[in-house]
Amino acid sequence: MNAYIRFVAILSCLCGIAAGAMLVISVLVVCQMVALRYILVEPTIWQTEFVTYLLLSATFVGAPYLLLTKGHVNVDLVPIYLKPRARFVLALVASTLSLLFCATIAWLGVQLWLEAWENSWYSDSMWEVRLWIPYLAMPIGFGVLSLQYIADLFSLILRHEMPFGISEEDVE
Amino acid sequence: MSPLELGILVAVVLIIVLLTGAPVAFSLGIVALGFLVAIEGPGSLTIIAETFFGGLNEFALLSIPMFILMGAAIASSRAGSDLYEALERWFYRVPGGLLISNLGACSIFAALSGSSPATCAAIGKMGIPEMQKRGYPNGLSTGAIAAGGTLGILIPPSITMIVYGIATETSIGRLFIAGLLPGLMLTALFMAWSLFYAHRKGFRFNIGDTVYSWRQKIEILPKILPFLFIIAMILWALYGGVATPSEAAGVGALFCIVLVVVIYKMWNPAGLWEIVRVAMRESVMIMMIIGTAALFSYMMSNFYITQSLAEWIAGLEVSPWLLLFYVNIFLLIAGLFLPPVAVILMTAPTLVPIIEQAGYDPIWFGVVLTINMEIGLITPPVGLNLYVINGIVPDVKLPTILWGALPFMLCMVLGIILLMLFPGIATWLPDHLMGAAQY
Repeated sequence: MNAYIRFVAILSCLCGIAAGAMLVISVLVVCQMVALRYILVEPTIWQTEFVTYLLLSATFVGAPYLLLTKGHVNVDLVPIYLKPRARFVLALVASTLSLLFCATIAWLGVQLWLEAWENSWYSDSMWEVRLWIPYLAMPIGFGVLSLQYIADLFSLILRHEMPFGISEEDVE
Repeated sequence: MSPLELGILVAVVLIIVLLTGAPVAFSLGIVALGFLVAIEGPGSLTIIAETFFGGLNEFALLSIPMFILMGAAIASSRAGSDLYEALERWFYRVPGGLLISNLGACSIFAALSGSSPATCAAIGKMGIPEMQKRGYPNGLSTGAIAAGGTLGILIPPSITMIVYGIATETSIGRLFIAGLLPGLMLTALFMAWSLFYAHRKGFRFNIGDTVYSWRQKIEILPKILPFLFIIAMILWALYGGVATPSEAAGVGALFCIVLVVVIYKMWNPAGLWEIVRVAMRESVMIMMIIGTAALFSYMMSNFYITQSLAEWIAGLEVSPWLLLFYVNIFLLIAGLFLPPVAVILMTAPTLVPIIEQAGYDPIWFGVVLTINMEIGLITPPVGLNLYVINGIVPDVKLPTILWGALPFMLCMVLGIILLMLFPGIATWLPDHLMGAAQY
């Protein structure tokens, strides 16, 4: 169980690094595009589409890391006022609901990816991207995100982690 | 069940799911999927992955991570402190001058970062301990910074304005320019209240023995002027229609990182990675909400809830003023519980057509909406800025900050009223610079 939690944490970190790298690359590509368009006055073909897909992928792939580091914003109004036992139950409910969503999207993402792969879909632009490439980010991101939610549920049940990260001292 | 009744059910279920403490992004998503499956069966989910993808497949969205990266670069450096230090050297003689410097620094930093918590943290870290040292009351100093920080989402560039622009298909450049004067107006109102309070209480703020020479005043300028230059360039590029927001933001981000490396000598790869990490986390958080909000609004319009709601409100035939009053109250309440981006994505596409029909300008409404969201940032239960301040000065209790921020909140309400009476505060500058709006 602990090995699983550690393994998923490493996976999420790797995803985070990938997302960070995508962010850096998109800054550079945007600047290259601006230089090309406004200084050299040359047409740009692939840049706009490339950075849009890159950013989209960074969002999906970066999400597990965000969960690992508790960065998804939530409304913790009720959890704060609950007794520890009730807070624990509520944390289970919240994580299960989120897991349900993430697993569904991961599953739907796999199907969309398969469809794009089998029918060799192209984007309707000059650049004609093979769509299975950007579509890959959704199943990967939400797949790891689901694994991370399962790891979070384990940590909760094994009491490695306080529900909602709220310790008793915080409430005092 | 009629679409309106269904709408009420959706709202109730969403509130319950949000209150469990699940992330806002996934709450929106699970409610959307849940209603689709419950009413139309699992088959309705086939289009979901593409809708999700489509919600994020938009070049204009790129400006969000770019501006966040720009703000993260500046926030990681000592630029915030330098900005504060520069204003302090220039205004130290004014009674209550430290407050003026702090609020001024907040408004300039807001123009650099586009994010409220970042503005609070950057200026507060330096400003609040200094004010405490000089005997300013805790409530006043922390409240001022909490309120000054909210300017981050009003003064351009602003992340919430970008989201509003995308959600309502209004010009982001125009929205940015429209936020400028109201932002300065709020800064002035904050300053006026601080000075009035200081004067009324008869505070003899300890100026101390420090005297700044002209040499000291001048020598700090080179450190902050390049950043001011970048802001000016971005605004010029946007209102001149020279570049799209995404392009301006991308170039701005690169320049700010380079400036931070050159001026503050942050060569260390770990430090640079930290900038990217912070920016990545925040943009993923916002973008994820944008993506799932697309699913949510797909569900809402699929069941004709959005359209029926708009028709119902239009059918009430209330006067435009009353309508605006209700809309403001509604936004205020929503803003108390939800982050600005989520409120805008969930409400703006429905509200803006209604507002337009009542004869109001959508750009002007974007500004009013943003100020409403600012109020939510300094009021409980989710007043983000209050917690940021509490993190900087843990010895000041949350209620003290809250009471200190209250008068500033009233300043914002006054700001909204002024904007309603004189819409030109928001619309004059964009109309003047970019020509009259065409809708």
